[in-house]
Amino acid sequence: MTAPVPADVPALQTASSLVVLSADTYSSLQALPFGGGASAPAPLRDLLAAALDALARARTDLATATRRAGGRAQTNADPRYAPVVEQALPTVRGPGDVVGLALTLEDVLAQTLVSDVVELSVPEVRRMVAGHAAAAARRKALLLTLQTLLSTGRAELVASPPDLAALPPAAGTVGFPDVLFPTEKASPATEGAVR
Amino acid sequence: MRRRQFLLGLGALAGVGALAACSNEAPAGPPPSGAPPAPSTTTTTAAPTYEGEAASVALGAALSALAGELLGQAASGAGQGRYGAVPGVVSAYLSGAAAQHVAHAEAWNRLLVAGGRPAVDGAPLSVEPALRARLDAARAPVDLLGLAADLTGTVAATVTAIVGEVTDASAVTLAAGVGPVAAMHGATADFLLGRPPTAPSDPTAGALGPDALTV
Repeated sequence: MTAPVPADVPALQTASSLVVLSADTYSSLQALPFGGGASAPAPLRDLLAAALDALARARTDLATATRRAGGRAQTNADPRYAPVVEQALPTVRGPGDVVGLALTLEDVLAQTLVSDVVELSVPEVRRMVAGHAAAAARRKALLLTLQTLLSTGRAELVASPPDLAALPPAAGTVGFPDVLFPTEKASPATEGAVR
Repeated sequence: MRRRQFLLGLGALAGVGALAACSNEAPAGPPPSGAPPAPSTTTTTAAPTYEGEAASVALGAALSALAGELLGQAASGAGQGRYGAVPGVVSAYLSGAAAQHVAHAEAWNRLLVAGGRPAVDGAPLSVEPALRARLDAARAPVDLLGLAADLTGTVAATVTAIVGEVTDASAVTLAAGVGPVAAMHGATADFLLGRPPTAPSDPTAGALGPDALTV
């Protein structure tokens, strides 16, 4: 693999900071009875577990790329969104709140990674980041779908497998709202850089 | 790739840029000296239409077109009662995903044309017959969702791989925007099928390469 270049370090560190924050937040949400516990809807419980696995891999991959580019791996949470999460966590009261907070973070993370794919210098690193962007996009799609179903007030719709005949048609498309993945919410490369 | 190149790439998405790396392959030249003259009316072995980065872009066009076509046909068949009682959520999914794949194919083709290459006609892929046969064999909504999950997974993996194979700003930008959307199609199909969320360790597993093109 061609080594990443030093100019890519801030973007890799910022992506890492968002991954750290997302993983920390998912861990907190997973500890809630209605997040990862017995009273949580099965698809949400499964999503939190899978997300933590994927984010651990993203953290390792981004740290490795950062070091190869001559930088120091970012291990702290994103400074812009960490206070937002700190304020929001105590207000989480049910699965809908879990989904809402996770969705906020996943959207920023996915959009930042997609933007990074375009900005990064080395094709191999772009591909690695693109893989994690796709994983974040998958989680965003499922979160959007769960959010729509939970908003109906019919908790029985959030099941695995779902009752297809009972689902609203919108649940089939709400998970992919854009033809091309947006980047307007992407964090700037310097936001989570090590200072 | 820095901000200015990104903006240039976005311009190309609107059809005003050029796919420089796609056009730096020389067009097919005359036969080498000593070679027998070509028949005047037919050719037996055509040179590949797409080479280098153009082949990656053409692969994106062909695969998006195939996904759009098959999912669109699945939606049409569902509307005609070919698969029994198809829930509205499944029909909506098939139609919505198909439309986005068609849009992706058009965007890939605009890159090819901007770079002086022909747009891909249809879905000239070695995997096309098997996937079409799978649609033909479908009997129930769950068969359609299974095909959609696998097909969109292939699209997402292939486009993720393309990200690492192209250097042109327009192609990188388009691949960066298309891959996650295809992944979202796959995630939705998986949910409808009741499959647990997955976190594949290799996001390019199952990706097609340019050798899957039959043109």
